[in-house]
Amino acid sequence: MKLELRGITKRFGTLVANHDVNLIVEPGEIHCLLGENGAGKSTLMNVLFGMLTPDEGQVLIDDEPVVIRDPKDAVSLRIGMVHQHFMLVPVFSVAENVVLGFEPVRPWPVLDRRKAAEEIGEVSAKYGLDVDPDAIVENLPIGMQQRVEILKALDRDAEVLILDEPTAVLTPQETEALFVIMRSLTAQGKSIVFITHKLKEVLAVADRITVMRLGEVVGSTTPSEADEDSLASLMVGRAVNLVVDKAEAAPGDVVLEVHNLFVEDDRGLTAVQDLNLEVRKGEILAIAGVQGNGQTELVEALTGLRPTVAGTITLDGNDIHGSTVRQMLDAGVGHIPEDRQRHGLVLSMSIEDNLVLDMQRRPEFSRRGSRNLKAIRENGARRLDEFDIRAQNSQVAVGTLSGGNQQKVVVARELSRPLKALICSQPTRGLDVGSIEYVHRQIVADRDSGSAVIIVSSELDEVVALGDRIAVMFEGRIVGVVPPTTSREQLGLMMAGSSEIGSDPVGAVS
Amino acid sequence: MTDVAARPVAEQNGPNRVLRIARRTREANIFLVTALAFVVGLAFGAVLIILTTPELLRSWGSFFSHPRGTIALNFNTVFGAYEQLVVGAIADPRAVWTAIAHPSKDNWAVALGPISATLTYATPLTLAGLGLAVGFRTSLFDIGGQGQLIGGAIAATYIGFSVHAPGVVQIPLEILAGVIGGLLVASIAGILKASTGTHEVITTMMMNYIMLFFLTFLLLHAPFQLPGESEGLSKSIVPSGQLPRLLGWLSGTLQVNLGFIIAVAAVFGVSWFLNRSTTGFEFQMVGANPEAARTAGVNSKRVVVMALCIAGALVGLAGMVQVAGIDHSLTNGYGGTIGFDAITVALLGRSKPWGVFLAALLFGGLQAGGHHMQIVTPTNIDYSLALVIEAVIVFCVATPALVVALFKLKDVGEAGRAVTTGAWAS
Repeated sequence: MKLELRGITKRFGTLVANHDVNLIVEPGEIHCLLGENGAGKSTLMNVLFGMLTPDEGQVLIDDEPVVIRDPKDAVSLRIGMVHQHFMLVPVFSVAENVVLGFEPVRPWPVLDRRKAAEEIGEVSAKYGLDVDPDAIVENLPIGMQQRVEILKALDRDAEVLILDEPTAVLTPQETEALFVIMRSLTAQGKSIVFITHKLKEVLAVADRITVMRLGEVVGSTTPSEADEDSLASLMVGRAVNLVVDKAEAAPGDVVLEVHNLFVEDDRGLTAVQDLNLEVRKGEILAIAGVQGNGQTELVEALTGLRPTVAGTITLDGNDIHGSTVRQMLDAGVGHIPEDRQRHGLVLSMSIEDNLVLDMQRRPEFSRRGSRNLKAIRENGARRLDEFDIRAQNSQVAVGTLSGGNQQKVVVARELSRPLKALICSQPTRGLDVGSIEYVHRQIVADRDSGSAVIIVSSELDEVVALGDRIAVMFEGRIVGVVPPTTSREQLGLMMAGSSEIGSDPVGAVS
Repeated sequence: MTDVAARPVAEQNGPNRVLRIARRTREANIFLVTALAFVVGLAFGAVLIILTTPELLRSWGSFFSHPRGTIALNFNTVFGAYEQLVVGAIADPRAVWTAIAHPSKDNWAVALGPISATLTYATPLTLAGLGLAVGFRTSLFDIGGQGQLIGGAIAATYIGFSVHAPGVVQIPLEILAGVIGGLLVASIAGILKASTGTHEVITTMMMNYIMLFFLTFLLLHAPFQLPGESEGLSKSIVPSGQLPRLLGWLSGTLQVNLGFIIAVAAVFGVSWFLNRSTTGFEFQMVGANPEAARTAGVNSKRVVVMALCIAGALVGLAGMVQVAGIDHSLTNGYGGTIGFDAITVALLGRSKPWGVFLAALLFGGLQAGGHHMQIVTPTNIDYSLALVIEAVIVFCVATPALVVALFKLKDVGEAGRAVTTGAWAS
């Protein structure tokens, strides 16, 4: 089935999210849609899947114009979509999830479970998905759940599959396996639209690459004609420095030390188990790992947001475990939280207010219980300039800024207080390449000024680029500490829990 | 680093002026929506007047034979009623003219009567509205105005009849008692929310009933019960404890009293607290994004308790000024609907101190004008019409989308956002 988008334009108010976009997906090809966050990829796919109505342009299937008013139309036109956030019922079996909404019934109203399971087993085998139809979804790893989503689309006879950032939640090994499945699907005539902003993946798997920037298609190429640098500069419109310029670390004394730490998650299950680590002055310890292996709980414990069950956290020789968030902040712990919009910022407040969000009671910003508005305004103007935050002025609401500029506000705030340790959690998630580069440079600068830095990231690129040492976390433990020169394959294996190859004495303490 | 040329133009100085103007227009739209809400309210009221006045209904029977007469009669009646509404709320121009031409205490008393009534009604509404607004800004939907007001009134009355001190001592003591009374009632909800997570809507609402019937109990027992009284009336506040009337030297009928000055002072105070104080900033952090507030080291549980205590203190003060300024003794169901009207006042004022003040003045004016209208209009248009108009206005202001759709407004920005407290989202 040949799919064509012709002259698609979609406006939201004055913002043009898609401008005259043309895209042709040939049968049997993997077509990569590459672009920064906010480039218009998701808007375009939502138009294709019937969730948005385009202002101009049309969709053609096998050169026939079609009208897609809602996702039901899209499904009946044999278009399937796997969303970034899975839409599965955790307590249902794979088969039940797949047939949900399209249940085979034997004399109505009884669901024919066996028929459903058989059907799904066949489809699964045909494309090498290797999913057990009777497994309960919540017991499956993330990679398997994603296959269930793919199964759902295939069971509805999809010919074109849209995968929206499918690799964001996968380990490198799971990503590889997904690529194998994608190739087996295209070998049988299906076509795939693969949305991503990861350059390596694009080059590994695409047949054709379309690059979007600011709502327009800025280039179309193939992996054999392109390389990472050319794609990156096409994406952001200028040459980008993909490696972080940083001098060799000059580690000093141990600043932050964690001993035998146990932390529980919200459900009361042990999330961090007997964890030990130390970070020295002037070095970056990157903590790699697949999301959900206790990193969030570790960071929350280190910043006072979550109580510890056992163990100690020492900062400059003082045990600070069990301190309140306020005490942690005052002791010199900087925190760039995982979710800037939920934890880092108050979106309805101005930039200048957000720039003093955790310093509102410091003497320079507060006099006898009254906020020093003049100092806050001056501080706002200075940081705007210093940290290259793109905004009209410091009085606009932070919520109106782009993701990159919002993150710069968080970074500016944390780096503008005297720090001993800086804890960054996914510091560049969802940012465009330009902002990533900037945030990385600021973190390295903070290291060089003498902070002990911890970076928790599920992006291998980031971990390798920034870390002076890399600690890999799996199921609440550090499975090994290795130097950044370690191969990606080995890191990938460690992220999946294998520890014996991990511990490299050279990397442990440099 | 980035070269300067790559920066957006907007960062340089020039376009700032444009931006400032744009922001002003957006603010103007809030006023536009409010003004149009008035139009809707008055139009709705006009329809009600016509439907409930038999004379006017009958006139429509002859619409086709005398269209102009019918319209004139209807228009004049409606216009007359609204004229009296305004006269009763602000002033009668003729009375003002008489007072200027023939200055005398009596003439001035007549001229100032309406405005005194408006300010009198507005006084407890301002204080209680401010209290609830502090809660709303912290995303706490305190609907316990009634209970907190009764708490303040009980405490103030107790001091009022049991202490016999000169006014300069007695009145501050009553104020303190009123503040503590309201604060104690509200603090129960605050402590429960902070310690167990109980939603404040439930606890404050239940406290309303508890306080209502606690009052009934008190009124039938010593020391509150007025000896020999079985209908539920408390002892009176001694004269030195009654708030002095501002215009008492003109006439005994002008009830506006020191309470109004206290209310205006509270507007200044709350305005400073919310806009300038560090603690107020933390309240708003918790209100806008409790998780970010926690991450920034703010103890949100303490803020919740403090916010409800401050809210209760202000509402309790409203109870104090009402009893010490107007009624001087407690009755069953004291305070009537003030505690609930304050919710609407706070919403209409968008939880901003000066907005609350204006909303309270509007409500006070509609009440004073409504009473006047009922007495003066030939067909005795009922006082409740003013309440209907009031309700329709609030309805429209709280649902800007409705006004926007009715008048086909374009791009209303902030004005288009529904009025909420955010409390329901949690």
